Amino acid sequence: MAARYRWRGVPAALVAALLAVGLAMLVPAQGYILNIAMQAATYAIAVVGLVVVLGYCGQISIAQAAFFGLGAYGVALGTVDYGLNFFTALAIAVAIAGVLGLILGLGSLRLGGHYLAMVTISFQQILTVVLTNWIGFTHGPDGVRGIPRPTLFGLSFEGGHAYLALCLVAMVAATLGVWRLKSSRLGRAMQAVRDNELAAGTSGIDVFATKVGSFGLSAVFGSLGGGLFSGGFHYISPDQFSFAESIVMLTMALLGGVQNPFGALIGTGLLVILPEWLRFLRQVYLAVYGAAVILIMVFLPDGLWGFVAERLRRRVRAPAQDVAPLPLLAQRGEPGADAVLQVQGLAKHFGGLKALDGVDLAVRRGTVHALIGPNGSGKSTFINVITGLYRPTAGRIGFAGRDITALPPHRRNRAGLARTYQNIRIFRGMSVLENVMVGAERAGNDVANDPAAAVERALAALDFVGLGDEAARLVGTLSYGHQRYVEIARALAGSPEMLLLDEPAAGLNMTEKQELGGLLRRLKGHGLTILIIDHDMALVEQVADHITVLNFGRRIADGAPQVVLQHPDVIAAYLGEPQRHEAA
Amino acid sequence: MQLLFTGFGIGAIYALVALGFVLLIRAAAVVNFGQGEFAMLGAYLMVIGFNVLALPYWLSIILSVLLMAAFGVVFAATTYWPLRHRGGLPVIISTIGASIFLENLVLVLYGPEAAQIDGLFDAPGIQVGPVFMDSQYLSIIVVAALLVALQYAVFEKTLLGKKLQATSQDKEMASLLGIPVATMILITFAYSSALGGIAGILVAPILFVSTGMAGLIALKAFAANIIGGYGSIPGAILGGLSLGIVETLGAAYISVPYKDAFAFLMLLIFLLVRPQGLFGERIAEKA
Amino acid sequence: MKLLEITGLVARYGAGDVLKGLDLTVDEGEIVALLGSNGAGKSTTLRAISGLVANLSGGIVFAGRSIVGLKPEAIVRLGISHVPEGRRVFPGLTVRENIALGASNRRGVSRRQLAGEVEEMLGFFADLRRLEHALGWTLSGGQQQMVAVARGLMAKPRLLLLDEPSLGLAPLIVQQVFRIIADIRARGTTVLLVEQNAHMALGVADRGYVLETGRLLVSGRPDELWSNPQVRAAYLGGAAVAG
Repeated sequence: MAARYRWRGVPAALVAALLAVGLAMLVPAQGYILNIAMQAATYAIAVVGLVVVLGYCGQISIAQAAFFGLGAYGVALGTVDYGLNFFTALAIAVAIAGVLGLILGLGSLRLGGHYLAMVTISFQQILTVVLTNWIGFTHGPDGVRGIPRPTLFGLSFEGGHAYLALCLVAMVAATLGVWRLKSSRLGRAMQAVRDNELAAGTSGIDVFATKVGSFGLSAVFGSLGGGLFSGGFHYISPDQFSFAESIVMLTMALLGGVQNPFGALIGTGLLVILPEWLRFLRQVYLAVYGAAVILIMVFLPDGLWGFVAERLRRRVRAPAQDVAPLPLLAQRGEPGADAVLQVQGLAKHFGGLKALDGVDLAVRRGTVHALIGPNGSGKSTFINVITGLYRPTAGRIGFAGRDITALPPHRRNRAGLARTYQNIRIFRGMSVLENVMVGAERAGNDVANDPAAAVERALAALDFVGLGDEAARLVGTLSYGHQRYVEIARALAGSPEMLLLDEPAAGLNMTEKQELGGLLRRLKGHGLTILIIDHDMALVEQVADHITVLNFGRRIADGAPQVVLQHPDVIAAYLGEPQRHEAA
Repeated sequence: MQLLFTGFGIGAIYALVALGFVLLIRAAAVVNFGQGEFAMLGAYLMVIGFNVLALPYWLSIILSVLLMAAFGVVFAATTYWPLRHRGGLPVIISTIGASIFLENLVLVLYGPEAAQIDGLFDAPGIQVGPVFMDSQYLSIIVVAALLVALQYAVFEKTLLGKKLQATSQDKEMASLLGIPVATMILITFAYSSALGGIAGILVAPILFVSTGMAGLIALKAFAANIIGGYGSIPGAILGGLSLGIVETLGAAYISVPYKDAFAFLMLLIFLLVRPQGLFGERIAEKA
Repeated sequence: MKLLEITGLVARYGAGDVLKGLDLTVDEGEIVALLGSNGAGKSTTLRAISGLVANLSGGIVFAGRSIVGLKPEAIVRLGISHVPEGRRVFPGLTVRENIALGASNRRGVSRRQLAGEVEEMLGFFADLRRLEHALGWTLSGGQQQMVAVARGLMAKPRLLLLDEPSLGLAPLIVQQVFRIIADIRARGTTVLLVEQNAHMALGVADRGYVLETGRLLVSGRPDELWSNPQVRAAYLGGAAVAG
């Protein structure tokens, strides 16, 4: 099993590399076609990098040409001005670009979406200005001439065929790497961040580090492509790495299909060749190119690869294997002995609004604790503060004997705190199994570093909630109720100490609510500590050992269910007049 | 002082273009990278009207602005409407495609040589104390101020403004309330395009008219919009003005070749220190 | 008198039919409840009536006029107001602005008249009064639901479509919402209600329809539905209705 994971795709890549080298030999050794092939191969490496940052991680980067340029200038200046070996210069350039990529990624700490796009554009513009104006170092607008091609182990890549073969092998390797990344732990983390940042964080993913990493990786691919480009054409100048070129690369990725490196290859190939085909149009060709970009966006929403993949989609079978039952529910300590969650004086103010105003609460191990109260009473805010999405204004949160008040969400999850959301937050671009694997792979879980074991754990969690047969489906195709179960399975797969459920019954019909009640009773039977928010009093009465009631951010009642639900304040503020049918 | 005035004038240009950005963001949730080309087209229409067809000056302005409004509708129908359900990125790419298309179309039709048009006033400017106020910069500042006031009033004080905002925030819900969504979007694009045209006509006497004239201005205007606070009208003004001043002072005291880098450097610093901009964005995500 | 008449309605999303030939009528002045499990096609029925479903066949006649193929804007102008699933309060507008926009389907409403009607709504939903200048995204679920209903009522509709008005609301607020629904009818508005909370819905409804995978399973008065064992088992929480 493990060996199968390790070598996945490698034989195919070897064949592809050999084929590529063979094809390279057919290209004329000089001139027009060779240049186009070389341009396509080196651009493709950079565009494959965009697949990582944009397709997998969902971060807009409009600076890929800048990284391409960093690689190209690194090789050019290193070899021409400083007499370095080609590969040494390339390695230095890639390292510098990688570090700059990481730094650019740091911008994502506080910024998302259009802001981050603007940061990348700024980086791109500044680089262009520097390349053009720092004449003493970069040769300025004249560019760098006479860039040599390398020799490795006595093998010369001076000839057109040999160098093209080198570029193609690098391209195949980059494509394979990025393809495998998609189904790796890091790749899943990136896609989780893309699909839902909040849920990724509370599932144990360090969202920030993942984004920074994706920028770094993307920069590495960008500069690698640029370095090879530099050797291929012997001459470079600043205008080859401008904002416009970044746009071209972005368009290549989108045209091909940004979710997949093969799409990037197709898109790059097409957009390198398209202008050549359109050359007969003379000056009009750029205008046609612009129009083509619009048409592509309108008619090929998922890119060419998406278009092809849609038609070739095979029904993926669920991995049929017998799995061990979920081990999460191994008892830890006697039920009711100590408090797993200990909250003191918790306050959260939004401007003048006191959403939480000094709440104390203790959840004892192995119990189901319900938190109820009117809409706007602070219940959801409470869960958001506990799981680290909001910073408390005052108060202390103790969890499993540690103070977690200052920890970010992913560290809290790693400490054993898992949650679900009122409005379901799942990773919509991923399969049911992958969704739950993200939970199983939280750092610190026993199966985190073993893909085969993580698959098994995820299947076990799905079996537990009754979705074992749906593992291979795209999660968005499940019914609403089943999507809730996927969220619960994702939480369970991470072997949590405690599970927080935010209105799990909302939107379920009577029958589904009864199923959910059954599931919660089973979890309770296994001794899992649960904090549940819900408005369905029948469900709460079925499962709760203890109830806390909030109103206007304050605790108005706390104790055993039968006592709390008879409390006059609770009836006045929340339950209203007793109703015949209300309980169902 | 003289530098401050020039910086202020350049800043007013950025603010004017940024206003068009803000409009489309607020009313259609679109980031339009073709905004600069609106300005370029407006300037070329002016060249054709005044220089080529020899129409009266003010008539050419009015015709240019009207034609730009009509062009905005065409732009919306081709670049935005087919992609309206597909989120931000496809539309961004599509507007980028449109900007490449427009720039090169004009290049093909008109040719690469730059043109020049006259300013609004014959007088070169007025001397106020130590500062010489160039008449064209002065008119830019005045027009920008008027348009800002108009836009602010429409968005914050009228029901139409609220309907435009509702449309950008949730098109389907807006249609369920009886708001004519398509009309709202077309109005927005028409006005935004006219605004871009006005900016182009005002800038043309200073910059010369060329196909590449607006690309960098548009990017800096977008930067101004973010410095000021994404989608905020007062923010766009303040962002634009401060950008113009920083750039002018930077060019005067530090380095001319690196002038274009200052704007983006300022943006980077701003994004890291105060990402919500001078006037914060109004909507946040709730968990 | 028949206000809304649906015959043989078929709606398609992607590959499959969500509605497979639905017949349904709503008489003037009625409250009609639409029940069924998730995916039965309840929300799709409302969306089809409002003109939000593109791929549609069958008849929808409102007040004697076919409304199939009309745009949502046109349908709401005829007097059908839809409060959709998920509330859909405009996040960047204030409570007051959200409610005022509810009157967008009516022409010639003066500023003064509009302000007066918004005041009336704020009186009706007293909890919203102190929030009138709060932005939509800052509201809790229950508050958003009230804004959404108030906004829907501003259209002064002849027929109000309510999609899961009790979703995510505290019991006390649920009771309040259903009292409001009864009030709305008392003021002459017909209501078509989609609900998971069958007990509450059948408590106020005159008639109910139970849908199953895009088809009508059974319809009738609440007491008839209660006594139908098939319906009870599948959709009303089974025999074990807790007291």
